[in-house]
Amino acid sequence: MTVHEERDSEFERRTRTVLEESVARVDSRIRWRLAHARRAALMQEETRLHRSFWRSFGLLPVAGTAAAAALVAVMLWIDRPERSAPVGEGMQATLEDIDLFADGETLELIEGWERGFYEWAVAQAELSGEASG
Amino acid sequence: MPAASSGDVDLLESTANAVSASARTDALDRFLAEVEVKAFRIAQTALHHEDDAMDAVQDAMLQLVRSYADRPAEEWKPLFYRILENRIRDALRRRTVRGRIFAWLPARHRGDEEEEADPVMDAPSDDPPPARRLEMDDAVQALEKALRSLPRRQQQVFLLRNLEGLDVAQTALAMGCSEGSVKTHYFRALQALRAQLGDFRI
Repeated sequence: MTVHEERDSEFERRTRTVLEESVARVDSRIRWRLAHARRAALMQEETRLHRSFWRSFGLLPVAGTAAAAALVAVMLWIDRPERSAPVGEGMQATLEDIDLFADGETLELIEGWERGFYEWAVAQAELSGEASG
Repeated sequence: MPAASSGDVDLLESTANAVSASARTDALDRFLAEVEVKAFRIAQTALHHEDDAMDAVQDAMLQLVRSYADRPAEEWKPLFYRILENRIRDALRRRTVRGRIFAWLPARHRGDEEEEADPVMDAPSDDPPPARRLEMDDAVQALEKALRSLPRRQQQVFLLRNLEGLDVAQTALAMGCSEGSVKTHYFRALQALRAQLGDFRI
């Protein structure tokens, strides 16, 4: 290291000491305001994250309703009396139906169906029952 | 053990994300607490105004948390100082525009925005400070005056390297320039300060 570089690094060391002293002298009022600003920034971010976290729970009731509706539809389909297919075939169809209704995209479609459909389906099942009985 | 349904997996993912977000918020809190006072001093040296400096630091905090919280923690410091520098530049630009507008108004209106002196805050302490403190007071004032006389880029590079302790690469990232420019600005800043302050004995 040359004499000039040594003088520079000594100068840098002194200026660093003075700069650190100037930071240490920042009064408590300023420090309080800075801490307050930091908490405000972090709180804003936390609020945003919490909102997105709870939004995922908000979809659960909708999915539950759709799943219940799908289950009713499947039960009605199974109880149709004119169905006389072999047990193995019936089970296969039921499993396919469950797969169909368990599919996320299908559930979204079911949400759009009206209650009239189910009433009609129940009425059809009853009529079929009377006709066969 | 039955396999988890997709709903359970979503729930687990949401919970895991919330936990990691909480850890990240703690890390951000520690980082900002570490840099906030130095950042304020840098902004205050550039802007010569307490409230403007506070606004710049607060905006930089918000922007970092909002836009860069997901970045690796080692990138936060240069990013934070990059944002702060942009805020300082915006404030200086606004001040220039405002100065041009007020230059057309009668002189008595110009001092309206100046801070009123607080007699309690400005009152000298009754206790005579020790000689060492007086010496340091002089050194702080002299260095501050010399720093304010520097061009912005030189002032910025000197403070980022000496006060914040950023290396050449981090300073280049914070300033949005090449490492060569950082070295040039720093060398010139050092020369200018030495010319003003001499050996700067403290």
